[in-house]
Amino acid sequence: MNYKAVIIGGSAGSFQIVTRILNSLNPNFPLPVLLCLHRLKHVRSGFVEALSLKSNIPISEPYDKDQLKPGNAYLAPANYHMFVELANRIALSTDEPVNHSRPSIDLSFVTAANAYRDKLIGIILSGANRDGAFGLKKVVDNGGLSIVQDPQESEVKTMPTSALQLTKVDYVYTTDQIIRFLQKL
Amino acid sequence: MTVTDQDFQLFIFALKTSSKYDFSEYSEKSLKRRLTKILADNKLNIKLLLNKIKTDPEFVEQIVKEVTVNTTELFRDPQVWHALRYTILPKLRNNSVINIWHAGCSTGQEVYSMMIVLNEIGLLDKTKIYATDINTDVIEQAQKGEYKYRFNIGYLDNFDKVIKENPYNYEEYYDVPYEKYFSINKATDTIQMHDFLRNKPIYKKHDLVKENNTLFVKFDIILCRNVIIYFNYNLQGRVFDLYHRNLYDNGCLILGMHETILGSYSVKFQKKGHAYYKA
Repeated sequence: MNYKAVIIGGSAGSFQIVTRILNSLNPNFPLPVLLCLHRLKHVRSGFVEALSLKSNIPISEPYDKDQLKPGNAYLAPANYHMFVELANRIALSTDEPVNHSRPSIDLSFVTAANAYRDKLIGIILSGANRDGAFGLKKVVDNGGLSIVQDPQESEVKTMPTSALQLTKVDYVYTTDQIIRFLQKL
Repeated sequence: MTVTDQDFQLFIFALKTSSKYDFSEYSEKSLKRRLTKILADNKLNIKLLLNKIKTDPEFVEQIVKEVTVNTTELFRDPQVWHALRYTILPKLRNNSVINIWHAGCSTGQEVYSMMIVLNEIGLLDKTKIYATDINTDVIEQAQKGEYKYRFNIGYLDNFDKVIKENPYNYEEYYDVPYEKYFSINKATDTIQMHDFLRNKPIYKKHDLVKENNTLFVKFDIILCRNVIIYFNYNLQGRVFDLYHRNLYDNGCLILGMHETILGSYSVKFQKKGHAYYKA
């Protein structure tokens, strides 16, 4: 296994999926998991608590310059962009929203793709806008592995469909298949 | 167009050698992104940009303004303002003077947030507010105190949470009209801060990378929110040292929600709630 990180992007309809994924991971999951999920503007807190209820691995909203550790999940904090710097560190930013979003999935994916190159697994889930499509393309361009949630199964199809239109991805998976894939890592 | 590592280093070097600005200790990811945007916005390639930096001081000033991030909100993170209103500021009630420094104040929304909270708890008159930024354009905007209305409609929610509601006692509600502090004009799409707030702060250009305390007072509170995320570890250390030396003994530093003090300075501050007190 050559991978160094998993990054997951999602928006409307992805909360349940992320909950299921975190609930199915081995507590000794070998990689850090980065989560960039859009949330409603007025729901700025309580999100990480809700996700951690059923998660098998610790999940936090990281501080700037936090070191990424295997077997931990990092949720992009509300109202910040979350970047991955070289040397496995998080960088946060309050730059303008991208695709009307802060955090922006594109930005997280692009910086993770730069940092991890072909050692990154990028996953795009259900969502209501195009954010993430460009980012997943960058994962692929850098030799990383790409997975998109099957639009048939997605509660809101726009995000997975946009990603599929822009890039030839490695796998189109249902949630169960995504889980099985991650469990084998 | 993508910016290569070499382009990026040349850009930093050109600024450092032909101007008084040094961005070599800024955090790379964000700066690189800004550089890409500057090239696109000004329709320049890296060679032309470097030339202009070397020959055109006015252009350098413009670049510095474009390269720094200037996003800020009124009452961003209401819980921080709750802490200021109910815990941090009341401890200073017996001071004869309260000195507050907004370091990296950008367009001034947090300066106004602070003044509004101070006024609600009766401490505005005895407080001296200092606000600095590297970018003189944003200082001018801060002094103007005029913001877009529709784009910033969230300001009003935050105002309600911090000024009207009491999170520690849900039965309490202060019916404070927005007009007490600013006028909203939907036709011109503006929020205009009132003059008694606009004229209060002392604004000054200040570069955290190079300058010492040029305000010549010590502080009870320094607010520096979502500024150090753009600095690398070394530069953060310099800034924490500057703040530590210029806080009163019981003074505190307020950072952004997801910023923290790393390295040797972590033991020189003690975190209590949302504030880092000088230890």
